[in-house]
Amino acid sequence: MPAALRRLAPLLWLSPALALIGVVVLWPVVVMVQSSFQQIGGEGFVVGYNGTTNYHNLFHEPDFVSVLLRTVVWVVVVVAVTVLLSLGLAQLLHQKFPGRRLTRWALIIPWAASVMMTALIFKWALDPNVGVINVILHHIGVVKQYGSNQADWLGNPTSALAWMMAVAIFVSLPFTTYAILSGLQGIPGDVYEAAQIDGATSWRSYLGVTLPLLRPAILVATLINVINVFNSFPIIWEMTRGGPGYETSTSTIYMIDLKQSDVGQAASMSVFNFLLVIVIVLVYLSTTRWKEQVDQ
Amino acid sequence: MDKKFARRICGGAALAVAGTLALAACSSGGGSSSGGSGATTLKLVVADYGTGPSNASAKYWDGIVAAFEQAHPDIKVNVTSIAWTNFDQQVQTMIQNKQYPDITEGDYFSNYAQDGLLYSASDVLSDPGNLLQTFKQQGTYNGVQYGMPFTTSSRTLFYNKKLFAQAGITSAPQTWADVQTDAAKITKMGDVGFGLPLGAEEAQAESLLWMLGDGGGYQTGGKYTINSAPNVAAFTFLKGLVSAKDTEPNPGTVNRTDLWQQFAQGKIGMINGSPALIPIIQSAGVLQASDWTSVPIAGKNGPLTDTLGVCDNVAAFKPNGHEAQVKEFLDFAYQDKYQLAFDKEYDLLPATTTATKALSSDAVFAPFLTALPNSVQYPSNTTWATVKSKIQQTIGLAVTGSPMTELSQLQQMATTSAS
Repeated sequence: MPAALRRLAPLLWLSPALALIGVVVLWPVVVMVQSSFQQIGGEGFVVGYNGTTNYHNLFHEPDFVSVLLRTVVWVVVVVAVTVLLSLGLAQLLHQKFPGRRLTRWALIIPWAASVMMTALIFKWALDPNVGVINVILHHIGVVKQYGSNQADWLGNPTSALAWMMAVAIFVSLPFTTYAILSGLQGIPGDVYEAAQIDGATSWRSYLGVTLPLLRPAILVATLINVINVFNSFPIIWEMTRGGPGYETSTSTIYMIDLKQSDVGQAASMSVFNFLLVIVIVLVYLSTTRWKEQVDQ
Repeated sequence: MDKKFARRICGGAALAVAGTLALAACSSGGGSSSGGSGATTLKLVVADYGTGPSNASAKYWDGIVAAFEQAHPDIKVNVTSIAWTNFDQQVQTMIQNKQYPDITEGDYFSNYAQDGLLYSASDVLSDPGNLLQTFKQQGTYNGVQYGMPFTTSSRTLFYNKKLFAQAGITSAPQTWADVQTDAAKITKMGDVGFGLPLGAEEAQAESLLWMLGDGGGYQTGGKYTINSAPNVAAFTFLKGLVSAKDTEPNPGTVNRTDLWQQFAQGKIGMINGSPALIPIIQSAGVLQASDWTSVPIAGKNGPLTDTLGVCDNVAAFKPNGHEAQVKEFLDFAYQDKYQLAFDKEYDLLPATTTATKALSSDAVFAPFLTALPNSVQYPSNTTWATVKSKIQQTIGLAVTGSPMTELSQLQQMATTSAS
């Protein structure tokens, strides 16, 4: 008995963590999938089994396709721009310069501040009549008149989406930059020396040495960003609530709105989102051949 | 068996148990708890009518609660106040998560009565007959009154007399045509002609005021008629107004609170408002009493005789089982002095017969009070909660896209959710 028990001992040590994952991660997924097949009214009472009606209704919502397309654009643009900017920022913070420590600390601020708060501040700053961004733009002659259509950035779906993407990028930069910065610090200096001896220019050694060695860091940063940005809620909720209509809604916002009237259908939207994220992540992992990266 | 190992196993098991217990404790946070010594805690959730910290509704309720707790040491009341923009959604989330309030004051929806979640007015009020009869129907489900009016108001058209004079307009707007020409003149001077809040906050009210202008409305004889010809005509008119830039830009994204503030700043010519706009104008201090006035709302061919009468309701929730305590509290809070204090604070109207009598000689309130019995109200169907939130989200598109298409989508949604 002791021998058999001994082999089971690690399980006991793992059990708190497993229980946590089970209750906090797996159980909600089970409930979510279950709810998506039930008829649940706006008050949260389960009326009964609903078959695939929730999914059928969801796919036939007039706004469904445009919301999905918008979500894809939202994720791709926000993550791509974030990673590009972060590559530059990380390179900058990797240099030795006076005040570097302070600059690195300062970069944490958008990350540390509540996203809800950041979104609200931007919303106020974009107020068509008195917002500080409009005041500045007015003074430099870009915005001709306060309160005009042009100054109402968040009223027009296209410009609203662009501003919200900018805010999403702003709050994603710190984490991404730090992830890449730590990757940079892990690259040994002698590789650069070797490149230099071989006559590589600094641009050449960035492309040939830095970027390839940064791949694991970029990979992880991108993945976490994709998942975060896909599920991003506070920015759009605070700045436009997805409106006018659903013209600035991503699938997460759309799900929240559905939950008001039909919890079952909202659950089916959640399941769809969940599967979509998994598919995106798997496609990304397979195209970047993550196994080779991790095994290196 | 070695002792160390046994201890380890026990430790591990204990940890696992502790972990699970902690999680269980987290997940069962709902419901209201009764303290020791038999004291009951009531959870009161109210909408915030204030325009800032100085007149926040929490203050008004804290005053009532303090007096009430002194008279009833065995009952504690926790007040949660929620901004109007989030009120419906937050209350609904509480209910979906089974964290029921005991009393809400704000919007009331009959679907909660349908689900058996509410006490009836006669369960929790000693004298339910004192509630204004005008609003009884709206709070009634299956012949029983559940929604108890707490404060009421009616809508009128406010306009800025100063801007009107500058634009050379001499008479008050009475018809849609008046609105259009007056708005165009004011817009020409660089201000907003007509403030049209079709954003999520109150789109359902603004829309109804225009629908009524041509004899339309959300329902005819209890059936949804959202895409009726008069309603489409109303939105076609609004679309014209918007495309001529006689309103603020993008009305579908603009909320009432923001526009009321701008009206108070003297930047808007006309706007539909309730008496609650008056304190906002006064606290802004830009417009003198002689600079603005309010008149009956403009309709297609003349001012409305029936306007939108709005009442905000108290609802008492059953699941926590505090019937006796809720009754104690509501009887206390519905006293005339608190009704009148609320109306004085926010320039709203009372919802009980006795308080109305006390106010009927008041010069400011009397005209609004006489208009109340003729008022049109929102639908009282159990589907209204859902339909309303959809209207709030999408009806603003009807002034940029096709009025017929948008209203028909809402109509279809309203009739399918009726099943």
